[in-house]
Formats: sequence, structure tokens, C-alpha cells
Amino acid sequence: MTDSHLTRRALMRYGAYGAGAAALAGTAASWDRLTGADIPGRDDGSLVVATLGPAYGPEAIRTLQEGFRELHPDIKLRINAVQAVDWSDFFAKILTQVAAGTAPDLVYVATEGVQLFAQRLGVALDRWVRRDAAELKEYFADVHPSLVESMMYEGSLYQLPVEFNAADIYFNRQVLRRAGAEFPPADWTRDDFTALLRDMKKSGGSRFTPYFWTNRLWGGVVPWLFANETNLLAESKAPGGQWLWDGFYPAAQREGRGGGFRWTTPQATHDRVEEVYDYLASLIQDGLCTRPEGGNGQNLIGVFSTGRVGVTPAGGFWAGGLHLAGMKQDGFDVQYFPRWRTQRMQYGAAGYALLRTSKMQDEAWEFIKYAARRDTLTRLFTTNQTTPARRSLLTAARYEETGPAHWPVFYDTLDRFPDTGPIPAPPQVAEVEQVLLKHTGTALASPRSVRPALRRMQGDLEKAMERDA
Amino acid sequence: MSQATLSLGRVRYRLAPWARIAGLAVCALLTLGPVVWTVSTSLRTPAEAFDLPPQLVPSNPSTEAYRGVFDQIDVWLLALNSTLVTGLIAVGQMITAGLAGYAFARLEFRFKKVLFGLVLATMMVPLQVTIVPVFLVLKSMSLTDTLLGLIIPAFPTAFGTFLMRQYFLGMPKDLGEAAMLDGAGPWRTFRSVYAPLAAPGLAIVGVLAFNYHWNEFFRPLILETSGQNYTLPLGLVSLQGNLGTGSISVVLAGVVLSMIPAVAVFVVGQRPLREGITSAGVNR
Amino acid sequence: MTNTQIPPARAARPKSAPSPTPKRPSVRDRGTRLLATLFLAPTIVGIVLFTVVPIVGSVVLSLFHWNVIDSPSYAGLSNYGEVFGDSTVLVSFRNTLVFMVFAVALQLLIALALALTLNGRMPVWLRSVFRSAFFFPLVLSAASISVVMKYLFNQDFGVINWLLGFVGIAPVPWLTSENAAMTTVVLVYVWQQFGFSFLLFIGGLNNIPKEIHEAAALDGATGLRKHLTVTLPLLSPTLLVASVVGIINALQVFEQPYVLTNGGPGDSTRTVVMVIYETAFEQLRFGEASAVGVLLFVLIMAVTALQFRLSRRFVHYQ
Repeated sequence: MTDSHLTRRALMRYGAYGAGAAALAGTAASWDRLTGADIPGRDDGSLVVATLGPAYGPEAIRTLQEGFRELHPDIKLRINAVQAVDWSDFFAKILTQVAAGTAPDLVYVATEGVQLFAQRLGVALDRWVRRDAAELKEYFADVHPSLVESMMYEGSLYQLPVEFNAADIYFNRQVLRRAGAEFPPADWTRDDFTALLRDMKKSGGSRFTPYFWTNRLWGGVVPWLFANETNLLAESKAPGGQWLWDGFYPAAQREGRGGGFRWTTPQATHDRVEEVYDYLASLIQDGLCTRPEGGNGQNLIGVFSTGRVGVTPAGGFWAGGLHLAGMKQDGFDVQYFPRWRTQRMQYGAAGYALLRTSKMQDEAWEFIKYAARRDTLTRLFTTNQTTPARRSLLTAARYEETGPAHWPVFYDTLDRFPDTGPIPAPPQVAEVEQVLLKHTGTALASPRSVRPALRRMQGDLEKAMERDA
Repeated sequence: MSQATLSLGRVRYRLAPWARIAGLAVCALLTLGPVVWTVSTSLRTPAEAFDLPPQLVPSNPSTEAYRGVFDQIDVWLLALNSTLVTGLIAVGQMITAGLAGYAFARLEFRFKKVLFGLVLATMMVPLQVTIVPVFLVLKSMSLTDTLLGLIIPAFPTAFGTFLMRQYFLGMPKDLGEAAMLDGAGPWRTFRSVYAPLAAPGLAIVGVLAFNYHWNEFFRPLILETSGQNYTLPLGLVSLQGNLGTGSISVVLAGVVLSMIPAVAVFVVGQRPLREGITSAGVNR
Repeated sequence: MTNTQIPPARAARPKSAPSPTPKRPSVRDRGTRLLATLFLAPTIVGIVLFTVVPIVGSVVLSLFHWNVIDSPSYAGLSNYGEVFGDSTVLVSFRNTLVFMVFAVALQLLIALALALTLNGRMPVWLRSVFRSAFFFPLVLSAASISVVMKYLFNQDFGVINWLLGFVGIAPVPWLTSENAAMTTVVLVYVWQQFGFSFLLFIGGLNNIPKEIHEAAALDGATGLRKHLTVTLPLLSPTLLVASVVGIINALQVFEQPYVLTNGGPGDSTRTVVMVIYETAFEQLRFGEASAVGVLLFVLIMAVTALQFRLSRRFVHYQ
């Protein structure tokens, strides 16, 4: 008894020595790893670009880096794929770096953060755009003016959009067949939509819900608000921007364009907003629609691809996602959102924003141009997990493997409904989004809670908008 | 769940032991169920992920999802970083907790209670409150975006110190007194009498540290900016894909992969871990 | 057995005037002090640098308006005023306290019940299988497991509602109704955490001398009554540690509500730490976030202190 105890103790002691020695050796051997000294391009005056991690895997980063080196061998480049679960997580991390004085030169920013960055941290690209106008002609000709306008703030351009996603309606074709329903035409209406859900419900089992959606700013309630010709915040256009429109777009496309969007007075208690919530609440009441869950919508791909859900709002990014989830090209398809008062739709776009603190602004501009080039985007967007901002990249060949059959819808949402615009994202976007999600959850949690919840939403939105971001 | 077992406790003299065991078995199933579901879903195709009833034993197991994980992220680099960070924190905590625990248990000095209270109070500070000032302190030490920046602040451990204090207090006092009477100074008393007995206690601290820091997410999320410095939990976020379009099987395969070392340490260190947590609440 | 080592209980005792250790030469005292200084240095320096300084920093920050981008401006106590006037913040404190009460109570109850049941007669291997099973969730990451739980708790497609369907329970909106969401967060949290208290209790039970149980049985105390009158009082020091650690952890809950419900629906599962994170990192109001943080810190201290006060009455040391 004592013997074995002693042996164990001795063993433990040698074990401890061993562990200590191993730790020392390990520390010494990996000192460079521990201090990050082995990372190329660290503190050596490289241009630092922060991208969103989940969207940029190691392969994509290599591609970006190699392409840039070929073009600009003189500019050292370092790309940080910043890990974050969603955009607000991503911005949080960038801002921590800003706070610490270790900000990157360029940040990948989506519509959610365009105005926040423009107002607080960004540099307008106007002078470079003017300087390199000849070079950029081809780019702007290939990109819908609405996307460009969504990157403007108070008359100045802050980013060149490289990707976007408009909300469209995805169908599970198997569910359509089961319901004996036709694939709807492009000009279908909200009532057609409701009828389709009812047909699907009838033919579906007890573990089937026709319409599933996620409670978020992009693609949650907002598409319905747009279709009902309203918005969460009163929408107007800033003056200015003529320098850009006149220089790059033909007269027909210039019309109605200004110097960027302004989202101001909250209008959550307006009749049309109430109509939207009433409509969604009635769908839930009739079992045609799930109660919205918060989060990044990961449940969604799984339940859709397995036919537990018939229709859902998503953008071009879903084509690749469904393909990954094992869905065949003909297993799903896509159509515009149905018409209510209008068929105007919402989107989110993204591009690189240049930070004021950057000491390499000219080099950064070269990267912005490089990142928006046709060949760069071709190499980068291979899996259809987003919609390229350049129209010319949307080809039958691109969607041959992943589907859907009606892939032109992704870009045509902009062309067919030219007033299609960005999700409402003023500089106070973080609070606005939180207030929207929070009260949408309550409004749709039980039938009679729509009005009180919208009243509270209005109050909270007013408070948020008063606050200087 | 609690209801069932409570009443089981009450009537245990009337119920046969098999009923008690059956009750425990049900609870064990409830506890392990989600883990089993995770592992089995990672071995199925995404199309089958939501099948009801869930196929706990995949009819057609596929390791494709695991290949997906290795394709999409640099698992080896992430694992190396996680191992370095977690391993060094574990060793560091064993040292700091061993020394401080001994001082609090067996040495007399001024402000002992105040200092011990200070150490314990650090358990009450939520990380989210202090992360910005911590970031600024690290910056002044040029440690932001390095693995050392994750490791060094984690060296002091309130719970570990508390554990080691308990551990040393549990050793017979006469041992040290005898050594003292033999003329040993405080250092020799520690070195030759108490320290050799501390190994199991230190193992506990090490295992606990590993367990906690292997899964740590918030600090690395805020402190590490370069992809090369990511730890496993951070790297796994990539698998969720742009706007949540990643495959669920791949996401879960990543979860399972990152679970393996923690489970291995759990299996090897289960005993010290159990004893460690146990001794904290025991009034010896 | 008279020497209890639960620190605060110890601290609460009246100081015994004569030191029990025999007087030693002063050289040795100096040596002891030097050794103590050396031994404590790494821990104390670390704590000062990475906890005390940041706390002071937070307190200072709570007196400023700071959005990270512009330089901070002095705000006096206005951040605190703002915080007290913000219904979301107040609700989050209520949620956190409700969460704490239910999570800790449930966790202790389950852990205690399982520990008592496991203490009965059964094969050794089986006991160790159960022990490992109950402890297992503790080694997993809270964030990953919450992702998994989100699938399982889905109202329409989740395994849990499917299982409940067999006993005739209609699908529960676990994550999407204000009434159910907090329950879900508590369940997921407790599922992962009860193993910790469970092991504490196993250890505590092992430390109760067998003779006491036998004496109680002779007196005719059996089953629940025996546990209430005999086991529980003897277990009270363990119970104290389990509840102190449980409460401190529960008041800082973040991952589970963040991943499962993101605080919703409405504010029904928004916890204080979530509010701190959102206010600071999403809305860039670091001053107000620090003010909330300071309040949370005060709350944790107060709850812990209260607990120790109460424990003086209810905790029995052998």
C-alpha cells in the first residue's frame, strides 16, 4: 500500500520534472510563434487589410495576396481574416484595434457599417476616383448605380462595392411539386404568395412549415417593409454625388441618384409598417410561417434543403450554401419577392473602406482598385457564396454546377426594380438593429402584441437616432 | 429531471437498486445525448442532419465533413497555437498557484487575509468589463496580437490558488514543524517536505486550466488579430461560412475535432480533476 | 476536524489571540517573510496588472464619454444616471438575478439528488461510468454546445419537441417566446454546469463519516428525512462553496444567451454581461458600458457578502 503510494508519488514527481522540461523546451523552440515574430509582414510597413474571416478562407487570402503581388510587387501586403460570427462582432474587433492604435489600413465593410465608418473613421475616395477615372470607367459600367450609391455618404464615395446580396425568395422544388403548385411568375403578388403557402401547408405533413425566416436586419422584416413601400426610418437622399454620376453613368441611369442615402425619422408606428407586422403575425397564426429566430440563420440551410420548409428569403449567397449542403441544381429555385404595393427590394453590399489613420493611403487605393477588378473577383468568388457586384460575372457557366435555374434574378433584382436600395443603416446602426430585432421578436411572439411592441420600438428608435453615434 | 431523481432518493429504501440505477441511467443519457447527436451528425451528410428520428448510428457514415474541416481551415496551425497557449497557461498556473497557495497556507506574513481576499475577489470580475483596459495594458507591453498576450495575463489564478491553499492546509502540520525543529529554514521546509507532496494538487490545477483555456473564446476573439495567431475555437468560426452558409456537418465536425484533446485530458486527468474540484468544497 | 478551511468562514472567526505556532528566532521570521514575498509575487503582480489596474481603469472610464474614436470627455456621474434610466439595463439586471436564482437552485438540486442517489450501493464500475457521464459536459466549450443546443431546441424541427411529441406535448417555442426562452437558457446552462456541483457533493458525501449515517438509521431516520436532518447539515460547507462559485459564475453568464437567443425575444434573455458587450463593442459607448460593469461588480460583491452572512447561521462545521 505504502509502496505503491510512494511509487506513484515518485512517478508524479518525475512527471512534473518532465512536464517542466518539456514546457521550457517548447517555449524556447516556439518563441517566435509566441511573440508572433514569425508572421510575415508584421510591423514592417506592410499595407494591412482586415477582411471578414468566415467569408475569406486561407485559399481566398492566398489568391488575393498573390494577385496583388503580381500587380504591385513594390507594395508589401498583409491580409488579416478577422474572425467574427457576424458583422457587429467584426466591427467590434476592428474598433478594439482602433482603440489600441493598431488599426488596419483597409477594412472590409458591409452596408451595415458603411455610414458608421464613413462618418467616424473613413476617408472619401473621391479624389482618387477622379484621378483614375479613365481606369475606372469599365468598373462602373459593370456595376449597378444603386450599389455605388449605397457606398456614398453625404455626397462622397467611401467604398467600391465588390459583392452584394439582394433578398429573393427561394423555393424547394420538391415541396412545390408536392403542393401541385407552379413556379410563380416574376410579377406575382403577396396574395399569390399567401395562397402558395396555404397549398404547401395542405400537402405538407405536421413537421412542415411553409415559410421560415431569421430575425435580422438583412432579410428579416425589412424586405416586406420595402415591398409595402415603406421603411423603418424615413429614407431620403443626400445632395451631391453628381460628379460621379455625370462622369460614369448614362443619363437614364443617373436619374434619381444623389449623394447617398439618409435614414432619419423612425416610423415604426406608421400604418404600412403595422400592416407588415399584422401580415406576418397572421401567417404565424395560421401556421404558415415560423416564429422568427434570432441569429445567423444556420438552421435555415439545413431545414430548407431537407424539405421541412418550402420558401425562405435569401440572396445569391445561398446558391453556394445549398450546394454545399448537398442540394442538387434542380432541387431549388429562386424568384423575386412578391409585389405588395411595389416590388422594390432591399440588399446589403460590401467593399473596402480606407481608414483615416492609414499612413499608406495611396497604396491602399491601389488595393481597393485591385480588389474590384474583374479578374480578381473571378478568382475570388468561385463557390457562389455571394453575388458579385459586377454584372458581367453572373453567367450561366457560373451557376451551372450550383444552380438555381433562375440565377439571373440575383442581379436583375436591381435592374428590374431600379429603386431597390440598401437596408437602413445610419451611423447609429448598431442600436437601430438591436431595437428592430428585439421588438420584432416581441411583436410576433403573440397575436395581440404587434401594436404595443411597435410603439415601444418607435420610442427606442427615436432615442437611438437622437444619440450621436 | 430533478424531480425524478429526488423522489428516487426519497423512496430508495423501498425501490430496488435497479430502479435507482435506471434513474441514473436516464439522467446519464440526457446528459450525453446532445454530445452523441453532435458526433453522429458530423458523420452524416448535411441532408440527413435534421432527420427525425435522428439516426444516432449513421446508416451511411461519411468522413467527408472532417475532410471539409481540414480543407477549409489550417487545423494544424490552430491546434499548435491552442496547445502552446493552453499548455503554457497550465504550467504557469501550476507554478503561480503552487507558490501562492503554499504561502497562504503555511507562511505567516502581514496582510495575509487582505491579499487572500484580493485573490478571491478577482473571480468576481467579468472579463467583458475589463477587456478594454487589459488590451491597453498589453499594448503598453507590446503583447497585443501575440500568443504571449493570451498566456501571461492568465497566469494568476484565483481558483487554483484557493485549491492549492486547501491542498497544503490538508497536509499534516507536524511534518513541517518537525523539519523546522531539525533546523530547516522556510525554503528547505517547502522544498523537501511539502513540495514533493504537492504533485497531485498541481496536476488538478493543470487539468482545470487546460479545460478552461482550451475552450476559451472571448479573449482570443478580442486580443488576436492575425489569422496566424488564432486558437482552435476562433478558427472554427470560419466553418460557419459567409452569412451562415457553411455546412452543418462540417461545423459539427469542427466541434468534435476540437473536443478531442479536451476529452483526452478529461480521460487522463479525470481523477485529479475530480479530486481537485472535490477538495475545494471539502472541509477536511 | 476543527480547522475548517472555507476561507471566509475562517476570516469571520474571532482572531485567536495567542498564535498556535511556537515562537521562532527572528532570522527565520525574516526568511519566512522573504519567501512569502517571493512566492506571492507572480500572483499578486499578475493580479495587479491584469485585474486591479483594469478595474480602476473601468471605474475611471465610467466617468467619461468615450466612443474609442474621439478622445474621451469627462461626464461625471451622468453615465450612471443614463444607465439607471435605461429600461434595457434594468431589465437585464432583473433577468440576470432571475437566471441566477433558477440556474443555481436547479443546478444544486440536480447535483445533490444525483450525488445522493449515486451514493447508494452499486457496482464500482457503474458508479464511475455515471460519474464521468455527469461530469462530461463540463469539458466542452459553452459556445459550441450552445450552437448544438440551438438545433435541438428548434420549435419546428428540433429533436426535443419531437421527443415531447411522444408524450403528447405540443411543440414548445423554446427559443422564440418570451416565457420559454429564459427557461431554455437556464436548462442549457444547467446541463453544462451541474457536473461541477455534483463532484463537490460527491466529495462532501465521502467525507461524512459512516458512523453518523448508521447512528441516524438507528434513530429511525430514513430516506428524505435522514437527508434533511443529518446529511444536509453535514454537507452545508460544501453547499456553501457550490453556491458561491455557482452564483459568481451565473451572474456572469454570456455565451448561452448570446448564441441561443441573442438576448431575445424582446429583452427576455438579455443578461448584464450581454448589455456590457453590446454597449461597449457594438454601440461604442464605453463609458456607459463601464458604468454597467462597475454596477455588476458591486452586485456580485454584495450577493457574495450576503451569502457569507447568511451562511454563518446555516453552515455547520463539524
